Amino acid sequence: MNLTEKMRQEAAQILESKEADLVIGWGGGEYYWQSPPLFLEDAAGAAELAFSPFIVNNLAKYLLEELESHEKAALFVKGCDTRGINRLLQDHRIQREAVLLIGVPCAGLADREKLKAAGYDAGLLQVERQGDSFILTLEGEEGAREVPAGEFLLDKCLECRYPNPLVYDRLLGEEVQKPRERDPMARVREVQKKPVDEKYAYWQEKLSRCIRCYACRNVCPACNCRECIFDQNAPRWVGKANQLSEKQNYNIIRSFHIAGRCIDCGECQRACPMDIPLMEINRKIIQDLTELYGEYEAGIDPTDVPPLGTYRAEDPAGFSER
Amino acid sequence: MKKIDKSKLEDLWGRLAAEQDLFLPVQQDSVVNFALWQEGSRVNLEAVNSLLPPKDLLFPQSEKIFSYKRREGELSFEEAPGSGPQVIFGIRPCDVRSIELLDPVFFKEPADTFYKNRREQTTLVSIGCLEPDTTCFCTAFGIQPLDAEGADVMLYDMGTAYLVSPRTEKGEKLAEEMGELLEEAAGAEEEGLQQQQEAAASAQEHGLDLDGVFEKLNDMFDHCIWEKFYRRCLACGTCTYLCPTCHCFDIQDDGSPEEGQRFRCWDSCMYEDYTHMGHGHNPRPGRRERVRNRFMHKLNYFPKDHDGVYHCVGCGRCVQKCPVNLDIMQVIEEIGKEGVGGEGHDR
Ligand code: SF4
Ligand code: SF4
Ligand code: SF4
Ligand code: SF4
Ligand code: SF4
Repeated sequence: MNLTEKMRQEAAQILESKEADLVIGWGGGEYYWQSPPLFLEDAAGAAELAFSPFIVNNLAKYLLEELESHEKAALFVKGCDTRGINRLLQDHRIQREAVLLIGVPCAGLADREKLKAAGYDAGLLQVERQGDSFILTLEGEEGAREVPAGEFLLDKCLECRYPNPLVYDRLLGEEVQKPRERDPMARVREVQKKPVDEKYAYWQEKLSRCIRCYACRNVCPACNCRECIFDQNAPRWVGKANQLSEKQNYNIIRSFHIAGRCIDCGECQRACPMDIPLMEINRKIIQDLTELYGEYEAGIDPTDVPPLGTYRAEDPAGFSER
Repeated sequence: MKKIDKSKLEDLWGRLAAEQDLFLPVQQDSVVNFALWQEGSRVNLEAVNSLLPPKDLLFPQSEKIFSYKRREGELSFEEAPGSGPQVIFGIRPCDVRSIELLDPVFFKEPADTFYKNRREQTTLVSIGCLEPDTTCFCTAFGIQPLDAEGADVMLYDMGTAYLVSPRTEKGEKLAEEMGELLEEAAGAEEEGLQQQQEAAASAQEHGLDLDGVFEKLNDMFDHCIWEKFYRRCLACGTCTYLCPTCHCFDIQDDGSPEEGQRFRCWDSCMYEDYTHMGHGHNPRPGRRERVRNRFMHKLNYFPKDHDGVYHCVGCGRCVQKCPVNLDIMQVIEEIGKEGVGGEGHDR
């Protein structure tokens, strides 16, 4: 049985036995790269579930709204997604009993941009994982082509340390062995090396593209405040004008608010329509936190205390009694 | 017909830029957007359509309406400076049509003077699309990828040169500015164009049929179909900010009682505060109502007021960039499958 069939069977069983009253998974689309989040309340719908190397959406955040109207939600989760679950648990935004986690060990997902750059977009019908390869189903005579998976993986998958779910109730398939192939901090160090002026110009150029759609916030499992300051109108903390200062302001506040809570899932950068390298900012902050407070990875253990979630007398910044 | 050799484009841009603001698709990282031309700009005329539509050049994401000052009790106002002539070079036929769809919105009396001033001073130089992107579905809306009816000058890509076809008075004037950079095209090139046009019309494979979609939606306000689509939506508004036809705006003040400005900026029906009333009520309280509004506006409300013309041009930007693949083509297909009147109202 392939993973798609397993997913469908699992979902149908859960809904039939009323183990949960909602299943959240991934469906298919018209294009090979589409994998829209799918919400099922009825076992008959399970046939719409589809596994593909594009199941990139982290479904954890949907729990916040869906659990308002459901008793228990079953959720398909990859390794990186489970760090988001742990974050929500740690913030007491969801209860563990209210979720049923179906873990999907993940050998890495495909990057459409990399496929495109290699000339595989028009005429590509389907991408499937087979061992160390992707099998591309192409329109026309050639039919299928095998390419090395490593060349077409998402950067975040090359940099991933947790391909296997950290928390789950059931696991679909075997755990995968997947060493981290790239140092996620390499890019941060590179940008950091630039002289101050150049660094400023670099970020000015990137952030001037921001259209402040807030996709990066909305998709983020660490951004889970009941009311976000960017949504407040009175007072309005960040103006609506299309100005570099407002864009910088937004991006600085966003990244500081998830300091120590960012689970390094890369969803913000993926969702950003303007191709702003948000992970460079997030990881710079992770790096700073490590320097200041020691190694900490968010979303690994829901019972620990995040570095900025506590106060200790030996805080390097001291304590101001005001 | 005249043509211009591609090797002369830099000269041409220099010449045009001396007379007016010249905007072109410029590459920055992986992104191509319209930007003011300067010598050395990384112009990319090959990318089919820009990430952001050039709508910002007529209807900026934010623009000052007036500024005010209070000095010793005296209140004074200063109007926003007017705009000058501009050329949008390399705009694709879908985006040209989108401007034709914005015109009736902003020209309707009382006309929006900011838009009107810019629009009247804008010359559109469009390039036909030889190779539509996989998500292009402009032909579903009767747009010809190789020919933009509303362009002032149409350029046809013939490999090493563009055929140049001025269409309007503004276009003729621009062709004059091009002067001796234009040469007479050979007969073979004009024949080639005809072949291209035939090939381009059949290049898109979307298979979308919009017949009856507008009429069906008349009865689908409370249909269960919205249930199916809204839940995945993150309410990020990317689809509306990238859309060449979306035109909602908000008016905001910035400053203190002593000094400041009033400006308008893009708004999006996908946002929570979009119809949040002063007394606290919101007639579109959730994503269900907001997602529905986006599609209803494009496929029903707008056509209702504009002789059945849809408010989408099939540029595919929202399809490409929606982080959760909420695909308007799929929405149109699903609506198409529904019967007219009454069925499926089982929400
Ligand atoms: S997703 Fe990108 S463009 Fe949108 S607000 Fe975030 S950084 Fe800006
Ligand atoms: S900031 Fe980005 S990488 Fe970090 S948790 Fe949020 S979406 Fe994931
Ligand atoms: S709705 Fe989507 S496809 Fe249609 S014009 Fe807007 S962005 Fe383009
Ligand atoms: S939608 Fe049509 S006009 Fe627009 S870029 Fe694609 S082919 Fe060209
Ligand atoms: S881009 Fe997609 S997720 Fe964002 S508001 Fe539009 S439909 Fe919703």
